[in-house]
Amino acid sequence: MAAGDGGGGERGTSRNTGESGESPRPASGGALIVGYGNALRSDDGLGWHAAARLAEDPRLAGAHVVWQHQLTPELAVDVSNASLVVLIDASDGEEAGAISVRRLDPTLAAGSAWSHHLEPAELVALARELWGASPPVFVVSVGVASLDVGDSLSPAVERALPAVVEAVVAIVAEHGH
Amino acid sequence: MSREIVIDPVTRIEGHSKITIQLDDRGEVVDAHFHVTQFRGFERITQGRPVHEMPAIMARICGICPVSHLVASAKAVDDILAVEPPPTGADLRRIINLGQIVQSNALSFFHLSAPDLLFGFDADPAKRNIIGLARENPQLARDGIALRKWGQEIIEWLGGKRIHPTWIIPGGMAKPLTAEVRDRILAGVPEAIAAVERAIAWYKTDMVRWEEEASTFGNFRSAFMALVDREGNVDHYDGWLRVIDADGKLLADRVDPHDFNDYIGEAVEPWSYLKSTYWKSMGYPDGIYRVGPLARVNVADRMGTPRADEELEKFRWRVGRVAGSSFHYHYARLIDTLHCIEKIEALLRGPDILSTHILSRAGVNRNEGIGVSEAPRGTLMHHYKVDDDGIVLWANLVIATGHNNMAMNRAVLQVARHHIKGDKITEPMLNRVEAVIRCYDPCLSCSTHALGKMALRIQLVGPDGTVLDDLAR
Repeated sequence: MAAGDGGGGERGTSRNTGESGESPRPASGGALIVGYGNALRSDDGLGWHAAARLAEDPRLAGAHVVWQHQLTPELAVDVSNASLVVLIDASDGEEAGAISVRRLDPTLAAGSAWSHHLEPAELVALARELWGASPPVFVVSVGVASLDVGDSLSPAVERALPAVVEAVVAIVAEHGH
Repeated sequence: MSREIVIDPVTRIEGHSKITIQLDDRGEVVDAHFHVTQFRGFERITQGRPVHEMPAIMARICGICPVSHLVASAKAVDDILAVEPPPTGADLRRIINLGQIVQSNALSFFHLSAPDLLFGFDADPAKRNIIGLARENPQLARDGIALRKWGQEIIEWLGGKRIHPTWIIPGGMAKPLTAEVRDRILAGVPEAIAAVERAIAWYKTDMVRWEEEASTFGNFRSAFMALVDREGNVDHYDGWLRVIDADGKLLADRVDPHDFNDYIGEAVEPWSYLKSTYWKSMGYPDGIYRVGPLARVNVADRMGTPRADEELEKFRWRVGRVAGSSFHYHYARLIDTLHCIEKIEALLRGPDILSTHILSRAGVNRNEGIGVSEAPRGTLMHHYKVDDDGIVLWANLVIATGHNNMAMNRAVLQVARHHIKGDKITEPMLNRVEAVIRCYDPCLSCSTHALGKMALRIQLVGPDGTVLDDLAR
């Protein structure tokens, strides 16, 4: 559930003040982890909260972790350099706190009439069309309880955060090399 | 029985709007309105805030061009403090403003408009988008992404972050430039120039097939306004207002931006949240003028950098000294981008660009301040009044899309007249109405303080108010 605009910054920027960020960029070829959503819309900021934890997790030291408002065309450059991509987003179609993991079909057709931001399949298609890159892409989504104005997560989604981290770590451990 | 067509929402622009087209008894188009249907109200919500907060608050108007609002707002607060930033502070503001224009122009041309130009206005929308562009002309798509990324990196490195940067503050800049960052930006200049020059070469070849289209694509007589420097070059940060008429005759020159209220009026229509500005001496609604890249290349004597001036000469040879068709915004936007890149390089190579003297400090010394600069879409004006403690009492923003409001309405009317036959909304008409608005790259978030993407709805309405046709997407 992307809203607003993409962005970038440095490790350590506050995840609760509407500032997007990223961990130091490793040499190309590692895992790319992107948490996205609107950090000022309660559970829609799930991707930011998860990414901020993942950026500090020593098990993901070689990964490039990014948190931003939405998927933008520029991110296709990072996707093309990655060996694995994990996208973390909130979902209003699932039970609050429920975690689902799906692997994107790399051949998925994608089209977009709106180019300020992209859907996951469009981001992947852009990297494929422009740089011939087709890394495995996983989408980790978490059901939301609240999308009201606010910079904190609902109790159900907050409780799910450790499991989200473990799910991403497991994906990277299995597919990241 | 007169009738009306409504397009609601309009797509691939920033913000929400709809279009109504009025028909007369014989089915001829008699009028068209571009309605902006969302409201945000930054001029009101900032009342009562300390004036030093204004740049940070105003940057939140838009996620596409927050730097433009930061720059104009900081200049307005400089005026209230009665200070000038040190020269290096002003130059760093210039660089970040130019980086902002590069990334926004790239978004407009490569991501939003190039699919129309590459595939044609009537191509299947499933193909006529950035993914289709990547398949058909990957170099063009890569160049667009690279230019936008480079512009965003300049904003991030000079301003602290890509969206809503914080280092542009009243009195100058919060952080000096380091040699490492300067060299990193400079390293990207050759590829940025190559990317935009490839796009210009492609556009010049491609535009031949659009010459007839351009003649009815928002092609009308109007004035143009932009900032120019002492020598008459384009100036995106400072300088004087210059206004020319459709024949290139000066209507005003060397106008101190602080005096803009003497020249520009703002009208409000009941059918839109977007104000219509007009040139006062010509009255409303006759005082129509345009701003933005097309105005900048029309108004200035020169761009002021060698490569862009060379392209400007070719532009004028092809489309005339004063280009009247809104279609040429695209061409002008590329030349504007080329100039911005050259100017960034020149400023970065300045001998004092690494100076740490970048901030002037002062308290509230005036009760009123005005800041004017060129944003990607045109001239941007911030005007504030404060009490003796620096608390904001009143704010007025005159935004590029507001300057262009009457022109966009005129452009929609011309396209509708050319394409509407009978009482049905046709797909070619719908596509062109959207595309002509997109030439102006309107940012409705800025102009009405609204958030969201532009969706399109057209209604065809008869003289008695009957909706004859209604199309939304």
